Amino acid sequence: MTTTARSAAAPATLQLGNANDFLDRVISKLDALDNTQKLPLMSVLRYLSDYIHATRRELRALRCEADGGKLLTSSASELEEVVSETENATGNIMSAAETIEVIATRLDKQTAEELTAAVTRIYEASAFQDITGQRITKVMGAIDQVENRIDTLLRFCNTEAEATPKPKKTTPLVNGPQLQKMANTQDDIDRLFASINGPP
Amino acid sequence: MGFNTGIKVLIVDDYNTMLRIMRNLLRQIGVEAVEDASNGEEALRMSRLNPPDLIISDWNMQPMTGLELLQKVRADERLKRTPFIMVTAESKTENVIAAKQAGVSNYIVKPFNADTLRAKIDGVLCAGH
Repeated sequence: MTTTARSAAAPATLQLGNANDFLDRVISKLDALDNTQKLPLMSVLRYLSDYIHATRRELRALRCEADGGKLLTSSASELEEVVSETENATGNIMSAAETIEVIATRLDKQTAEELTAAVTRIYEASAFQDITGQRITKVMGAIDQVENRIDTLLRFCNTEAEATPKPKKTTPLVNGPQLQKMANTQDDIDRLFASINGPP
Repeated sequence: MGFNTGIKVLIVDDYNTMLRIMRNLLRQIGVEAVEDASNGEEALRMSRLNPPDLIISDWNMQPMTGLELLQKVRADERLKRTPFIMVTAESKTENVIAAKQAGVSNYIVKPFNADTLRAKIDGVLCAGH
């Protein structure tokens, strides 16, 4: 083995960060050789080195963004706030509807019935908070998975400083609400339900 | 409406808002005796202490999902004939099949309206489950 090859030997476990250093050392050694045939090979190696540099830079940027914090973590926190704020707002709407329902009992029968019907629609519509909450929880689970995968990639790239392992979150038990255009309606469910045999 | 509104209903959901909606809708159809639990485990404990006439449960809860609660109820000698309606956003065919095979009395998909709730309760209680 030549001196050049020995000094540029790859480490036993090659991570992306080490690979970058290794390539740079090979390029530097090749550059010192007095041989014109080295040029195409050097050009390919430089391209590879630049590509690895760019990939590491992009990964770091993905992980460390937005006001010096963590972009994905802060997005998940924003979504948690959305769930919490809509829950509070729904609670207030429900309280107002319950008050209307009580007041309706003091009015004449027809007005009371009309108000109660309107209040029923408010109760029915308030269920949006449950459905949107479940959908947002699904999105938060997906963000969590993306973040964990980026951390794994960063560790592979030998940039542990940016890759802080985060605690595992609880993922939804099943799939949550389906997308409306794909979901079964109550009529579909009723037909399906009637067609299935119960327990033996 | 054919069922006796004097029944005692246990509603189970981990969303407080949904428990409140359900309680209000049940009150509007004349059912006043409503107890609630925020997960399957709590619901099972309450049911064993004081068996309800009807259980209306969500699916996605921890600890103990609605499906697990249903299985425990059906395996319990004292509770096994209790009518059980699953009210859930899980509208996938496999979920409906799993619930039916576990012995659910009926299945309501969220979001639902008061008429659907009333019709399902009526159907389940009048069918003599």
